[in-house]
Amino acid sequence: MTKTKKMVLLSFFAAGAIVLSIIESMFPVPLPIYGVKLGLANIITIVLLYFFGIREALMVVCIRVFLSTLYGGGFVVFLFSITGGILSTLVMGFLMKVFFDRLSLSSVSVVGSIMHNLGQLLVAGVVMKDFAVLGYLPVLMISGVIMGVFIGIISNFLISSLKRINVFTIKP
Amino acid sequence: MFNKMKKGDLVVGSIVLLLIIISFAGVKIYNSLGSGNGKIAVIRQNNIIIKTIDLDKLKESQEIKIDGDFHNTILLENGRIRFEDADCPDLVCVKTGWLDKNGQMAVCLPNKVSVKIEGSDEGLDGVAF
Repeated sequence: MTKTKKMVLLSFFAAGAIVLSIIESMFPVPLPIYGVKLGLANIITIVLLYFFGIREALMVVCIRVFLSTLYGGGFVVFLFSITGGILSTLVMGFLMKVFFDRLSLSSVSVVGSIMHNLGQLLVAGVVMKDFAVLGYLPVLMISGVIMGVFIGIISNFLISSLKRINVFTIKP
Repeated sequence: MFNKMKKGDLVVGSIVLLLIIISFAGVKIYNSLGSGNGKIAVIRQNNIIIKTIDLDKLKESQEIKIDGDFHNTILLENGRIRFEDADCPDLVCVKTGWLDKNGQMAVCLPNKVSVKIEGSDEGLDGVAF
């Protein structure tokens, strides 16, 4: 793959991730807890981990978090999302690399979303200087499991369609 | 491929289930540790205590306004406390509703304000797990 093609593909995915996180912010959150959310942008992270690698996925996560917190949020939200995003990408990348054929994508994304919440809560603890916010973890873990399974299934669909159109193998 | 259930999924599933149970238990224990007899509401901003109120001794309702990056209005009544109003973007603090048990807390992260009901035995706060 040429450098240019890679850059174009990665920016395409970054744009997709930003759109997904904007769509996600339009959904009302049913619970009064920070961090309960759909995690749609995680689909892009998983697809990138699958087709590229940890480095590329991290790059796109950083771009996505930076740009989408410019739309809505602020510095504190940026800190939350970037820590959660980086932590979950690293852990998911590790899982996909080491247990490639022994884990389904749903497991990977469940672990990823739990890591995302954990990272966010740790930052919240540091910002508030009170780690009692970790009390939210159980509820966040349950929502993370439910959404993680769905995100894994969706990522599977996306990966198999992307494989079919050969966008990653055709010569430019 | 990642399509079907794999052996590893069972392992991940049981570990996650275990973690959820442990964390629930941890939170329960943590909350029961912090519960004394009285209901002392502690309002913090930037982790500095700006007000402590004994909710059981409160006769009539009272409002406290807090300024910062945003503004919160906290309403206190006999035995309970809540964020009445706020102008932060997400309103998580207001949606949390009434707090009336020891160990409960409501947080407004944008304004860095937290309200927590602590037992009358002082000294338990912060990291416990």
